[in-house]
Amino acid sequence: MCGIVGSIGRGDGTVDVLMEGLRSLEYRGYDSAGIALGPSMGVLRKSGELDALAEVVEANEPTGTYGIGHTRWSTHGPPNDRNSHPHTDETGRVAVVHNGIIENYAALKADLQETGVTFTSDTDTEVIPHLIAQALDAGDDPETAFHNTVDRLEGSYAIAAIIDGTETIFAARQGSPLVVGVGDNCTYLASDVPAFVEHTRNVVFLEDGHRVIATKTGYTILDENRSPVDVEVETVSYTAEATGKSGYDHYMLKEIHEQPTALRQCFSGRSDALAGTVTLEEIDSIPQPDEVQFVACGTSYHAALYGAAILREMGISAEAYLASEYALSPPPLSLGTLVVGITQSGETADTLAALRDANSRGVSTLTLTNTVNSTAARECDHAVYIRAGPEIGVAATKTFSSQLVGCNLLAEELVDGSRDLRPLIESLRNLPDNVQSILDTSSAERLAEEYGKSNAYFFIGRGTNVAVALEGALKCKEISYEHAEGFPAGELKHGPLALVTPETPVFAIVTGDDERAQKTLGNIKEVQARGAPVIAVTDGESDAAEIADETLMIPETEERAAPVLANVQLQLFSYHLADALGRPIDKPRNLAKSVTVE
Amino acid sequence: MSDISSSETTQPSSAVVLAAGEGTRLRPLTANRPKPMLPAGTRPILEHVLNALIDAGISDIHLVVGYQANRVRSHFGPTYRDIPITYHTQANQLGSGHALLQARDGPDGPFLLVNGDQIIDHRIVEAVSTAHTDTATLAVVEGPEAIDYGAVHLDGDTITKLIEQPADGEFRLFNAGVYAFGQQIFQVLETLSVERGELPLTDAIQLLIDEDDHSVGGVRTDHFWMDATHPWDLLSLSRELLTRGWVDAPTTDTDIYVAESAHIHPDATLVGPVIVDSDVVIEAGAVVGPYAAIGASVTIGSGSVLRDVVIDTDTTIRPNTTAIELVAGQGCRIGAALTVGGGPADVVLDEEVYSDVDLGGVISDRVDIGSGAVLESGALIGPGATIGPGVVVRGHIDAGSEVVR
Repeated sequence: MCGIVGSIGRGDGTVDVLMEGLRSLEYRGYDSAGIALGPSMGVLRKSGELDALAEVVEANEPTGTYGIGHTRWSTHGPPNDRNSHPHTDETGRVAVVHNGIIENYAALKADLQETGVTFTSDTDTEVIPHLIAQALDAGDDPETAFHNTVDRLEGSYAIAAIIDGTETIFAARQGSPLVVGVGDNCTYLASDVPAFVEHTRNVVFLEDGHRVIATKTGYTILDENRSPVDVEVETVSYTAEATGKSGYDHYMLKEIHEQPTALRQCFSGRSDALAGTVTLEEIDSIPQPDEVQFVACGTSYHAALYGAAILREMGISAEAYLASEYALSPPPLSLGTLVVGITQSGETADTLAALRDANSRGVSTLTLTNTVNSTAARECDHAVYIRAGPEIGVAATKTFSSQLVGCNLLAEELVDGSRDLRPLIESLRNLPDNVQSILDTSSAERLAEEYGKSNAYFFIGRGTNVAVALEGALKCKEISYEHAEGFPAGELKHGPLALVTPETPVFAIVTGDDERAQKTLGNIKEVQARGAPVIAVTDGESDAAEIADETLMIPETEERAAPVLANVQLQLFSYHLADALGRPIDKPRNLAKSVTVE
Repeated sequence: MSDISSSETTQPSSAVVLAAGEGTRLRPLTANRPKPMLPAGTRPILEHVLNALIDAGISDIHLVVGYQANRVRSHFGPTYRDIPITYHTQANQLGSGHALLQARDGPDGPFLLVNGDQIIDHRIVEAVSTAHTDTATLAVVEGPEAIDYGAVHLDGDTITKLIEQPADGEFRLFNAGVYAFGQQIFQVLETLSVERGELPLTDAIQLLIDEDDHSVGGVRTDHFWMDATHPWDLLSLSRELLTRGWVDAPTTDTDIYVAESAHIHPDATLVGPVIVDSDVVIEAGAVVGPYAAIGASVTIGSGSVLRDVVIDTDTTIRPNTTAIELVAGQGCRIGAALTVGGGPADVVLDEEVYSDVDLGGVISDRVDIGSGAVLESGALIGPGATIGPGVVVRGHIDAGSEVVR
């Protein structure tokens, strides 16, 4: 379940504000969407993309002076109209939108059903309006009914509710993102700032346990004991238009092309090429850790694999863990351990859970994130920002490249001792232009045409290029829906080689000409012997280009920078493959940009 | 501006910017980007154009893009200085009228039209905007260049005739390429057809004049404007911008502009006017300027002497290079002790000879030059070429070629 919005104090403009807000939160989910409006308590909801709801809104012309809205990504129950938010109680007095998971919903639902309540959906959310209605029936005033209901919920949630006859939006945050926008005589609520940034840049970032009572004259924020709390109103800098597509066919293509700029921003002002030093002001004071444990999911996990590999090369014990596994089978920690969570949004529920687990065990935590003031940034001891700018396409592209640069900066800052970093700094400074040269000259589109009808796509590499192989395969799966797998090249013969046929092109990432490159050349011959066409992603230093059937060339650079470049070629291949297949590239089925459920 | 009620209806708040052309006479610099993205100082020409529009109060920008459109899109994105940008694609470059037609669904009311490859003072934009009443208004300047830009006949504040190819010396008033239009221009353009691969805007304006001889206004202006036709014009363009201080970096001394994130060795010398953009590294003993524009993330090696140069982003220059009147593109790797001695030179472009041009040399994007190479005056090196150590470069070197001694 993914994005929520609310607006009060905007009078007749309320419906437009809610719909625009949902539009900008669409990246958080798009299985279904809906709005509820007061004082009429009218509810409109529709499965499918937001356009389906927009049609219903256009046909019905609903009116209201305050309201709440929701765009959904299913966790409980299939995406259909019935399971769409907002949910109401039996009499339609209460409407609720919710992002997150109510962990004790089964018990609550059973209790409610015992008292004769009929449920109309499969969602966990529906318990909330029924509980509020039950409290109202028991004589609670609306605000008390809301508090009493929230007190009974376990799990992670951001909730917004409207109750008949109150002209108030009630909201609560526990473990899922929720921000308040402070306008002139109006108040906005949303899962993320872009939903209302067009109307106000004054924002309150809520903490877990906070509850919001918003009326057209203002808002009050309470803690879980219902005592008012003082909060700071912050001013955010980015504009609503920063999320436009700039004439590109897809956000993903736009973001691929934004990489030179994103990489420049990530690196700018963080090194001194004359002195050969790297400085991350945010973490200048952190002592060198004995051990680093990375936790992350999806693409960020691949960045974590890369980060762990370079730290190990520098003599620091480091490992990357999948965040969803980390808290369930936690590795041993010592006082000198630093746990680093990599999350683009800073809201990824699995990564947050892993970081909280580490926090609770008393070790230092750090997040490498793209989102200032995100939950991860606020909860961790330290935050380092990759400065990639907003990323809308569900398939991460520029943020992965920036995460790799971020890992280099992090590693150089964390590890003590004097080294001459000038070659590394030069290679990182050259990345923007090197990426641009790939964008100017890549033959990925042609290869996507040529190999577009294959049975499966395999990606192999060694060392830091393992991360590139896994990421190349993930990108291919996510947006083209074609079968793709990435392997450490040496693992092929231990099983996956059985899948290799003349109908399965193999992308071999070979950079430099060291032992790893030489061994990967051996693997290329291994798959060629099985008839598979091989596409070498290479800088031309080894013989890979001569041996392979096709090549995607990258400029020569240092070993640490090469994976960024190799990955750009694979991004372009996946993009053009998916485009040729007519896939909805920015909104792949079943996926959401920021996965805020565990 | 005195009459607020009429300014609301006729003063444009939108602008259309034509940025679709390659600029063939600027080859080989335009191999990877359109002409409006070539450097003026350390920023693309188009950035200066948008600055002028925004400084003149424009709040809605429409960019017509075509050749290498992604370069424009990725540089500016959906907004520039908080002003929204809408992109319109011109798939084939069939003249200025055809380009404007691509933006017909863009501006709602009256709008300005400017060229994306021509730097203008924002006061020219303001003058046209203020003078605009209904159908069309264009900026008129006086000078000997009429032969290059198309002359106009101005009667009071009305344009009575456009003269496409005036005889030399006959006219001194010409069209500066800054226009304001009402929506009528689109209807007129739609009645015209592309002939000989061109649909020039001037044909449409001439039609407007023919229909009603008071419909097209002209406003005289003598504010600065400049464009680049040939590669060496980028040097004079930068000179002008540096002289005027139209650069985007804080000043450290009257005419020395250095971005905060640049690293300049204390033993390096900057001689103004000079602009050093973000994340530039200048090593010990280098002398940079006067008239040097050093783009973002450029490295200049110790002991190098650079004067009258435009060095575009991400280029690395190794120690002890001497460069005078040099234009270098993006991402070049220049080995130690390159010598570019400066003009004058006789340069051949498209089989035309230009004599006594002040040009040391032009190095396109991503050229790799070995140490100790020499560029003879007026040398032009195509993108991606590799020049071996010690090579003396004369005349043209083709894109991607490899030259060894």
